[in-house]
Amino acid sequence: MVASSYDVVVVGAGGDGPVAAWKLAEAGLSVLVLEAGPFYGNEQWPKPSEAPGGEASSSVDDLSGELLDEQFTGREFEMVNQLLFGPADHERGFWFRKFPGDGAILQCAGVGGTTLHYTGCHPRAYPASIDEQGHWPIDYADLLPYYREIEAVCEVTPAPVTAKEELFFRGAAAAGWELLCDLNVTEPGYRPQPNAIRQPDPKLHVDEEYDGPFTYPEVEGDTLALGNIAGNPHPRGAPYEEKAKRASNVSFVPPALETGNVTIRPNAFVTDVRTETALGDTPAATGVTFRDTWSGHTETVGAEVVVLAAGAIETPRLWTNADLPRNEWVGRGLTIHFGDNVMGLWAADDLEGALGEPTVDQHQGQDIAARFDYPGLGMLQTVGTTPGIGAILGFGASASGFAFQNDPAEAPWDTVGRLAGTELKRILSDYRRMLQVLVVSDDRPHRRNGVTVSPVLSDEHGPIPLVNYEPSEGDRRRRDDLAEIAAEILREAGAAHVHRSDSPPTALHLHSTMRMGKVVDEACEAYDVERLFVADHSALANGVGGANPTNTGQALAARTAESIVERYFGG
Amino acid sequence: MPIEGAWRRLGPWIDALRRGVASLLELVVEVIRGEPDVDVHTLVTFRAVVDAVVPETPALGEDLGPEHVPGGLAIDLDGFVVTYVDDGFQLGFPHVGPHGNIPLADPIAHVLDAAALALLDREGNAAEPSADRALALLEPGEASARAVEEAAGPFAELSRRDRLRAIGLLDEFDLEVLPSPGELFEFDAGLVGQLVVGFTELIYYGEWDGYDEFTQPPGDRVHPNDPAAVQSWRQTGFPGVADGYAALRGYLGTDDGPLGDGEPWTTIDDDPASPVRITRESGSFRENDYDTSGYEEPHPE
Repeated sequence: MVASSYDVVVVGAGGDGPVAAWKLAEAGLSVLVLEAGPFYGNEQWPKPSEAPGGEASSSVDDLSGELLDEQFTGREFEMVNQLLFGPADHERGFWFRKFPGDGAILQCAGVGGTTLHYTGCHPRAYPASIDEQGHWPIDYADLLPYYREIEAVCEVTPAPVTAKEELFFRGAAAAGWELLCDLNVTEPGYRPQPNAIRQPDPKLHVDEEYDGPFTYPEVEGDTLALGNIAGNPHPRGAPYEEKAKRASNVSFVPPALETGNVTIRPNAFVTDVRTETALGDTPAATGVTFRDTWSGHTETVGAEVVVLAAGAIETPRLWTNADLPRNEWVGRGLTIHFGDNVMGLWAADDLEGALGEPTVDQHQGQDIAARFDYPGLGMLQTVGTTPGIGAILGFGASASGFAFQNDPAEAPWDTVGRLAGTELKRILSDYRRMLQVLVVSDDRPHRRNGVTVSPVLSDEHGPIPLVNYEPSEGDRRRRDDLAEIAAEILREAGAAHVHRSDSPPTALHLHSTMRMGKVVDEACEAYDVERLFVADHSALANGVGGANPTNTGQALAARTAESIVERYFGG
Repeated sequence: MPIEGAWRRLGPWIDALRRGVASLLELVVEVIRGEPDVDVHTLVTFRAVVDAVVPETPALGEDLGPEHVPGGLAIDLDGFVVTYVDDGFQLGFPHVGPHGNIPLADPIAHVLDAAALALLDREGNAAEPSADRALALLEPGEASARAVEEAAGPFAELSRRDRLRAIGLLDEFDLEVLPSPGELFEFDAGLVGQLVVGFTELIYYGEWDGYDEFTQPPGDRVHPNDPAAVQSWRQTGFPGVADGYAALRGYLGTDDGPLGDGEPWTTIDDDPASPVRITRESGSFRENDYDTSGYEEPHPE
């Protein structure tokens, strides 16, 4: 089913690759998308984690909401293991990447990539991060038409308010912050998340006293069942394209397949980029070699243009392992939104006063539906989690050791550090009366931070990636300021106890390892290899100010696809 | 005193050597008898981990109710954590471990012992180590006291809090793994802390306890999705995975802005100039003009 050559081969069907594939196919080009992980919700692979299944999918008729319901159980531990970056075969562990300290990298493998467990948050970059910080060779205004296009396809709307968002908004207002109504944010304030999740069915309002089933077609749109980190198959019973969360597999893969010009080949790990070099000339990409993760067989496929969209770790890893020219910024300048968690705990009586009920019930609503923006510092967002993910993200790691080893004294939090033992069990006994705020800082690209490959250790796809990350003093200060604002908001919302994790660097958002202006030009074509483009978050010139990066990565991928058509296919 | 310090360092190494010889003998006996490879040292060490991270807590039972007493050992979490870290990572060596997964539990147990020795060496422990703690981690009759004593490393002999203190030292260590002869691979032992604390917490507070058998293929796993089947759900009040909740309160907005529409449901900020409300219907964000010329870096690089 996979032909020997295509107009364009896209490496990676994550958040951004399907956007580029869709735009290129709309322009009439033949496109092959190679994805290292499985294809969930596709009839070619009824048991994608248990058997090799089919070879490739080229038809929207293959997509199945029923299979997605079966494969995305919503159970957190099972889904974390299923989705995190590793081979489809459930008997085999994660692909190993070395990351410093006790932090971790949270990326997914599979069609949809990390948008499979993203929480649907789709804000734009802060304009100042593009126009004022000095990293970007293009203007924020250049991205605006693409933001609008992406937001329309992903159906981005203001997120709904449930109890936990109301609590946060009350705290933010009481702390003196203003409500923001804008898409292009230049001032600090709070607002609902611009989420790529269909708004909930109005009948789910608390006043409607709905007691029917939460399945399609009785309920359409979001069902307020949390679960986006676990893949979000809601509403259950809905066709594939009617699922509420517009992850890239739901938003961009169907229209891409609709064109009839796109083939998606999952379980295909690209290990080499093929080039040809005319005498005295720069090399030009001619295709890629990939390895079937089930059979181990390798194949080579030719292309007029190759697009790397394997993410901010695998794209530079592939570049390096393919022995492409070593520009000094390849793999360098990694930003990860150096983050933290600040958590509030409430007494039941205080909640009764603020919310009219004695619990926050963070397991209800959308995972992340309220935010606070501060251009120059980054953002805060409320996070509802199921207890296991909440424990590992909020309490499982700290750069300050265990909470019992620390006395925060004058700090705006009552406790700081990792939690384990009796303290952990006591705090989690209040799971239904707690709310976590995720601190996401606007860390800046530094050359020391990034991706290299191991000189001694290879896996079946070549030398493994080594990730280095050490925040700067400015990065730490931005994060500290945000953590203090978070603590104040939680206090103003009536929290009786505030805990700060002081998380070690952990990579939820990864960007800027193949930066525009350093490794790729303004059209995202590599300076040193012709016909080789980057269309993923690695091409971002910085961390877009600390705002969730999906919207900007996708907008840039859409723009890159147009540039490819113009440059090489007669525009 | 330097000499005392030297003896303090030497003592544990002699113990370690004795244990090494003992476990080698056990291995020989196992091979001769054809018994499965049960490493008592790994078992005891991971029980010590689980016992420290999610302990049995009688005091919480008095404060909060009897459901808050049992910890990870009551649901055999230790055995699964060993399986999980052994099956968790691919390093592309099809000849090592089942399915190319590199078994990490045994080297992790030894790294934890090294961390315990480092803690003792710098006198960072609050309580004296005791072999009785290791013994208490096994059920009566599960293994002979002598076998446990010989197999238990210094980590298992620490108090619960001292075990956590030892884990806190792990960033200073490298974890050495030999995927195949001659291919020594070292990585930051901070990963050990992530696995034994972070993942132990994820597994305990997630739904794992409710499965018939998690290691089955995903399509064959059975989970009742009921707090009756998951100890930690009874401790957190998590009701299980739901299809949905009728929990919508509305949309944030103001009377004169584009966000929020329809009937006000409640007021968030009663500032008379511009009250912020939750309304029954959604508005939309504004495609605003923007001006970044006044931008100032709060913390310049």
